[in-house]
Order: sequence, then structure tokens, then C-alpha cells
Amino acid sequence: MTMPRMTMKACIGLLLAATLSACSGGATIEVPTQFPVPLVQPLPLTIGLHLDKSLTEYVHKEAIEASGNWRIILGPAQKPMFDSLLQGLFTGVEFVDDPLAPNDGIAGVLHPSIEELQFSTPQQTHTEYFEVWIKYKFILYDNNGVALGDWELTAYGKANEGNYGMKSKEPALQAAAFAACRDAMAFFTLEFQKVPTVKNWLQSALKEGRT
Amino acid sequence: MRFIPSIMIICCIGIVSSMTACVTATVQEVREANTGMSSNDSIVVLGRRHRPTPAETELDFVACVSKKMSKGSQGVKVIGEQEFMDAMFPWFEPRTAPVYTSDLPEIMSQPALAKRLEEIGLRYLVWIDGNTQRTESSGSMTCSITMAGAGCFGFLSWENDSSYEASIWDVKTGSAVGKVSSDATGTSYMPAIVVPVPLIARVKAQACNTLAGQLVNFLVDES
Repeated sequence: MTMPRMTMKACIGLLLAATLSACSGGATIEVPTQFPVPLVQPLPLTIGLHLDKSLTEYVHKEAIEASGNWRIILGPAQKPMFDSLLQGLFTGVEFVDDPLAPNDGIAGVLHPSIEELQFSTPQQTHTEYFEVWIKYKFILYDNNGVALGDWELTAYGKANEGNYGMKSKEPALQAAAFAACRDAMAFFTLEFQKVPTVKNWLQSALKEGRT
Repeated sequence: MRFIPSIMIICCIGIVSSMTACVTATVQEVREANTGMSSNDSIVVLGRRHRPTPAETELDFVACVSKKMSKGSQGVKVIGEQEFMDAMFPWFEPRTAPVYTSDLPEIMSQPALAKRLEEIGLRYLVWIDGNTQRTESSGSMTCSITMAGAGCFGFLSWENDSSYEASIWDVKTGSAVGKVSSDATGTSYMPAIVVPVPLIARVKAQACNTLAGQLVNFLVDES
């Protein structure tokens, strides 16, 4: 066999391998960790933030028939996300290991968790969009470690795969998951003071002039 | 001497690739109020993403209009879409952005937001709706790879249609000042005898150029 023929075979082999890899399903993405700080008037309180491992190490794994294995690594983004969020909403934020432990230095403790994550691919919905839904649950404790109540927030993010060129799967899913995180922050910012539990807690915390 | 045919082929491909198919573009504007910009004023161009729609404006189109508006002798100061959304977070996210001009006063009543808008000197918000779609395609092409070589044979053609509308809001007065729309249509061709030769109609690029040019004229002209 001559060298040109060998080169041609190698080229065809590489072309086939590239085609197969482009067609293979599934993806693994990690959500970016840079979040904006909400542009609002901060409440003159210091809030405690309790993030447990189930949140900071959260990974959504899903096998979709004929579409492969998908992994959305959301955990590492949660600490910077909630830190940025609460930095905008309160004058002080303190990370707390135990939300049940009394702490006079703070007005209360927020404990977020992810109840559920769902996503859809363009193949499934026959659209051009990757879509991600994240259902968060928040528990609010007072500064004596007493649970005051909880509420849920469903965030949604979408990204058009047409915006991300030929290899769109990973960047589009990543953009959709990131958009869902931003949506959670946006809705928390605009709505959390309307939650009855938060409303009552804020009234007494501000009245008592807790830090 | 053996490399002369290769050079000729490369030259031919280069010449043919630089040829583009024709695009027909139209631009229209509706003025509702006077406009004008001072040297400190800036604008932002945003894509409408508040509702789930298959016709969402492409990120690269919004970026293209922003870039084109900031270039040239009449260029205006344009803030990038993402930079603006981060600076104004969470007021211009897909589900929180104002949909009507009547929503502006409520948002502007936020002291922190009003202060930030003043800092960046934002005068106009330009909302873009619309997208580019393939409306028609025909023909067929077959490509094969053998040990003797590779090649394609056939003919493809497709028509793209761009339709965009920009709504301009004056942040100072909290009112809509007008609309500019840009439509472009063009058919691309790809004949192939061994080597496919694309003759692409740059429809989206044309729509971007005409829309950006008209928007600058609309905003800068004090009429």
C-alpha cells in the first residue's frame, strides 16, 4: 500500500469518527458561577445563609431514550448565586453551618434547596429550544433557629440552539440552565417580600431593629 | 509546474466564494415623537424574549445591530445587551422586562435603577422583534467519498426571509418615539460538479445593515 492511499484511509476514518461523535447523544454541562448582584435598595438586616451539600453538590442526571446520557452540574453555581442574590437584598450576608443554632448577629436564616430539575431538548419538543425548569424550596428560620415557614419557587430558562452554531448542544443547554438560575434570582428579588412568611418576619425584624 | 492547477482551483474557489446571491431589502419607519442625542447619551439594543416563541430574535442579530450603530461617522454610544442586563439585573430579564411603555414609570421609580440609568446615560431603549427564517428550499445534492477521491453532484437552492421590527422607547420621557422595520429576502444557490460552489444571499446581514443605518438616522436626526 502506498503512502497516499494510507493517508486517504486515515482521512476517511477520521471523517467517519468525527461524524459519529457529532451524532452521539447526551452532554455534560456545568452552570457558570458568575452572577449579577440585584439592583435594589437593600434591607438594613444581616441574613444568614445555610447551604447544605445536597445543594452545593447538586447534579441532575438523566438518560433519554435515543438521546443519550445528560448531566447538568448545578451545585458549584449555587453558593455564588445565593451569595450575589442576598448581597443585593440585604446589607449583610453570613454563611451559617447550623440554621437551628441561635445567633443574635443575624436577623434570620434562609435555607434553599432544589426540589426538582427538569429539562427538555429540541428533539423532544420539536422546537429549537433547550428548556430548563428548577423548583427551589426555601425555609426561613428566625435567629433562634425556629422554622417560620417555607415556600417554593419555580424558575425557567430557555436557549435557542440556533444561537450557538454547529456544536450547539452543550452551550445551549448551559445557557438554558444559567438562564433558569438568573430567573430564580430575579423572581426571588421581586417576589420574596410578598411571601406571607417573609412579610411577617420582615415586619418584626425591622421593628426590633435586628442587625 | 504541478502546483499550477492547484493554484488555479484555489483561485477559482476563492473568486466564486466571494460572489454572493442577490438580496432585496426594504426599510420603513414610523415616527411618533421627536428624537435627538447629546454626546453623553447612550442607547441599548435588546431582543424581545418575554414570551416563548419560535420567532425569537437571534443573539447575533442584536449584537450586529449594536455594533453597526456604534460604527461610522454618525455612530452612537451603544451599551452591549448582556452588559446592560447584568448592570440592570433583575429588571430586564426575560420574565421581568417591561413589555409596554406604561410599565416604565413603575420600574423607573426604583431609586437604585434610576441612579444606574443616569450613570450610564441611557437615553433610548431599542427593542427588536423578529427573526430570519428559511421559507423555501429545493433541489438535491449527492456527495460520496471513495478511495479514488471525493466529490458532490447536484443543485440546491433555498430562500431566506428576514423580518425585524425595532421599537424605540425614550427613557427620559417614558414614551415610545417610533418604530423602524427592516425586511430582506434572498435566494441562495449551491451548484456542485465535484466541488460545491455556494452562492449565499446574505439576507440577515443585509437586514442588520439597513436596520442599524435607519435606526441611527432616526435617533440622531432632531426631527
